[in-house]
Amino acid sequence: MNTRTRSLDTRAIVAPRTARRRRGDARIALFFIAPAALGFIAFYLVPSLRGIWFSFTDQNLIGSGTFIGFDNYTRMFGDPLFWNALWVTLEYVIINIGVQTVLAVGIAVLMHRLTRSAVVRGIILLPYLVANVVVALVWFWMMDYSTGIINVFLDFVGGDRMAFFGNENLAIPTIALINVWRYVGYTALLVFAGLQTIPTQLYEAAALDGASEVRMFRSITLPLLRPVLALVLVITVVGSFQIFDTVAVTTEGGPINSTRVIYYYIYQQAFERFDLGYASAMSVFLLIVLAVVAYFQLKIMRSNSSDLA
Amino acid sequence: MTATATPPQTRPSVSPPSRREDLTPARRARRINVGRIIAWAALIVLLFVTLFPFYWMLRTALSTNTALYTNAGSLLPVEFSWGGFSRVLGLSSPEQAAAEGGTTGSINFWLYLRNTVIVATVITIGQVLFSSMAAYAFARLEWKGRDAVFFLFLTALMIPPIFVQLPNFILVRDLGLLNTLAGIILPFFFMTPFAIFFMRQFFLGISREVEESAKIDGAGHLRIFFRIVLPMSSTPVFTLALLTYITAWGEYFWPLLVGRADDSRVLTVALGIFRSQTPQTGPDWAGLMAGTLIAALPIFVLFILFGRKLVDNLGYSGIK
Amino acid sequence: MRTTSRARRTVAVAALAAAVPVILAGCSSAGSSDAADGKSITYWLWDSNQQPAYQQCADDFQKSSGISVKIEQYGWSDYWQGLTTGFASGTAPDVFADHLSYYPEFVSQGQLLDISDRVEKDGIDLGIYQDGLADLWTTQEGGRYGLPKDFDTVATFYNEKMVTDAGYTADQLADLAWNTKDGGSFEKLVAHLTVDQNGIRGDEAGFDKSKVTVYGLALSGNGLNASGQQTWSPYALGNDWYYGDKTPWTSSWNFGDKAFSDTLSWYKGLIDKGYMPSVDIALSEQDPLNGYLAGRYALVTDGSWMNGSYLGQSGVPTKVAPTPVGPSGERASLFNGLSDGIWAGSKNQDDAWEWVKYLGSAACQDVIGEAAVVFPAVKTSTEKAEAAFTAKGWDVTGFTEQVTDGTTKLLPIADHWSDVNDTMKAAIESYLKGASDASALKTANDQVNALFK
Repeated sequence: MNTRTRSLDTRAIVAPRTARRRRGDARIALFFIAPAALGFIAFYLVPSLRGIWFSFTDQNLIGSGTFIGFDNYTRMFGDPLFWNALWVTLEYVIINIGVQTVLAVGIAVLMHRLTRSAVVRGIILLPYLVANVVVALVWFWMMDYSTGIINVFLDFVGGDRMAFFGNENLAIPTIALINVWRYVGYTALLVFAGLQTIPTQLYEAAALDGASEVRMFRSITLPLLRPVLALVLVITVVGSFQIFDTVAVTTEGGPINSTRVIYYYIYQQAFERFDLGYASAMSVFLLIVLAVVAYFQLKIMRSNSSDLA
Repeated sequence: MTATATPPQTRPSVSPPSRREDLTPARRARRINVGRIIAWAALIVLLFVTLFPFYWMLRTALSTNTALYTNAGSLLPVEFSWGGFSRVLGLSSPEQAAAEGGTTGSINFWLYLRNTVIVATVITIGQVLFSSMAAYAFARLEWKGRDAVFFLFLTALMIPPIFVQLPNFILVRDLGLLNTLAGIILPFFFMTPFAIFFMRQFFLGISREVEESAKIDGAGHLRIFFRIVLPMSSTPVFTLALLTYITAWGEYFWPLLVGRADDSRVLTVALGIFRSQTPQTGPDWAGLMAGTLIAALPIFVLFILFGRKLVDNLGYSGIK
Repeated sequence: MRTTSRARRTVAVAALAAAVPVILAGCSSAGSSDAADGKSITYWLWDSNQQPAYQQCADDFQKSSGISVKIEQYGWSDYWQGLTTGFASGTAPDVFADHLSYYPEFVSQGQLLDISDRVEKDGIDLGIYQDGLADLWTTQEGGRYGLPKDFDTVATFYNEKMVTDAGYTADQLADLAWNTKDGGSFEKLVAHLTVDQNGIRGDEAGFDKSKVTVYGLALSGNGLNASGQQTWSPYALGNDWYYGDKTPWTSSWNFGDKAFSDTLSWYKGLIDKGYMPSVDIALSEQDPLNGYLAGRYALVTDGSWMNGSYLGQSGVPTKVAPTPVGPSGERASLFNGLSDGIWAGSKNQDDAWEWVKYLGSAACQDVIGEAAVVFPAVKTSTEKAEAAFTAKGWDVTGFTEQVTDGTTKLLPIADHWSDVNDTMKAAIESYLKGASDASALKTANDQVNALFK
């Protein structure tokens, strides 16, 4: 086959690209899309529509429900725990994404400028390979007040033990940082791949001019990373809003509701109160929030197309 | 995401090293400065923070439960014992387990491992194949409404999983697929928005010449896709497969909902159940940590074998 | 082409990796298979310690009735989620262990089978159970949803060595009293048992409450809920206070009462003085058991279900003392009972009923009692359990004397318990942390009362 395509290369350049193609592709496109479309319709679209329907009913997890109009939504807007959940989730997202992005960029730059070792890259990706629930458990064990190694160490060096999960001011940051540990490697590698697209000549030229690493970072790396960063941010922010496993394993929403994130609250409504209607209403709200956030993030990205091009 | 001008030839593994041999010796000497040392120190701290919890898992797994509390600060395993591992693998008798403060529930470890492998493998094959096909349609085929449909698929990324999981649960129940591996696999088998997005980005970036010439040769899209494009994309396909496998391996909530019975349980669910099967003397940490390590082991192995590829090729997830 | 050979290698590796566990799964023995004549029901419980004893019951039952029982055990949180999922999917177990906190919701969801007619028809004698237990599982409409299984009370586990070193005897420990003014002999003991890092005790001069190494009394993070079973309930209940108007089916609540806030105020005082760890610490711990075994707590209030954990370990010599006598003149403990219930959607209701009958009979409960894990509900079986505990060298009179003296109070059983629990949990946590005052408790009480209008 190789020889054939090579000899036809020249002809390919000459062959016209016509609009004729447009009509012909529809049928074959159907074939290509069919399985994915089936999956999308059956497991994303229809359930979403069903969920939206549930949000207008008092559907019970076990039994059935009747139409109640906007009652769930009115209840939602008047529910202090709902607003608390949104606020707590926002806190979490800001800390988690803030720290994670800064660290990811820092790590990526370290890998880009300091060492290209694949072993290093492999190691920082390791936490990503462990299941979420397990990560939560291990950290919960390590941060146990009486017998966790971190507190024992703090004691040992003469500091104060910290009630990581029991203090309502520490709980959400703790959970945020645990998830930074889990995802920063993966995020860093994404950024690192983006760094690869920056021509090294730029760095070499700057170095010859006497620029420091920090200066190069600020003037070369950061601006050229913008599209990559924007994309990474969209993915990580959407994921961050859906924090659940860590909370379920460690604090279960406490202390004093300081970790009752929106996803956990929705779960509780569905599985502990059996109120599927209300849970669905909150999910719809979350979905809209995520869509809006993503839209704005993408908008920012479009307006800053790569400075390389 | 429209393809920008940068063509895919800047493959990461080809980038020049960061050593600056072309600088004058004086300049180079200045480079070995405080900044570098700080950077290295930071890297070492980073690696330590990343690896320490894994070490701690191992240390706990090789200890005896009852001793864990009295020797909380010991960096080495306390009262060394393989008990944790043997309990998880179902090799311990209830008496042995109780003596070590471990859970006396039975663990059908090999069964759960088999289930997880089947689930992850089938999901990976299906998802990669069908998502690639769809991605090709979005990237290379011309049809009305193409971009609108793609955007629709993409919005699925925003959907909070729990929103669809409950209706999906009802659907799977109505199909009679509860407590079966098929029920666990089904929602993930055909596509995820991420997979389509990922492959589409790559397909957008490959050169059209090869396809053009094959078309002129008379090849239909089907043949072009399966005989030319797909083999050409072995690297991103492989990357996607690896990512999908890892994700499928770590799925927890959906298999918990759908696959609770013993014969359809997967490792993550089994671990969760193992965790809450607290014997009276507190959680069976040794067993749990051992279980965690064992459950993660196949992924570690996969990663060691193919990790370099993954690490080199994560860039294809839409940077261009 | 290079790619295909690499791809082929990948597929080969994957196939091999997949084959190994499949082969191993075939070789290893799966769970036990069952029934001779096809009559089989499923039974769920959450306490793994009791499973061997119940397996024994199941084996005996199969011999006498021919019905085989498949027992499945899940840990606490998975248990309830699994049940709920089972109800929703139509795959719930035929019989399951039921708890007073969840049972009202199951009844209102119609998931529990009403057995009152069967109880009457078969002439079940409800007098064989400890007083009050059978009625816990009845509704105002006259339905009955379970037969009593076992009960638990609350007492104080103590570190024998620490207590002796502090100059106290076991008799003294059995004779403590507390009050809201100065804490009584109980607080004196707790203060004396508290030691800071310089070895100074809590009631001595120079005690540094910010550097405590041993707390006199532990605080359980798990127990800071609306029932306060192993935290504040022994004190509040001994202060002439009860959660609500009545039980079962509480319809109005008393969390706004002065008796309650006074108790909590004294309880909080223990934290402020450094004798008890703060709520922050309690919530950052798995269980006080960890800290107890590490020598950081001298006394731990907990339920009789923890007997095995505290008395069965050999690291710290432990004994049991009853909870202290309160201002009402009596000591108090929550009296919690479990039952076995039948799922309303079960397809084997008659067989399930036979099993429930057996579980509720002395025949099975004797077996459970002799295993010395819990206190069975049948009076004669409770005695067997006590004997079994004694035979192990464990003195559990601290738990049982409350039953014999009649100083126990039943757990409140109410609709909307999850909501009551969530609201009061947050309010009590906040109060004990010093983030709010007694008026917040009253506000929370009003909130939960509003649920019942």
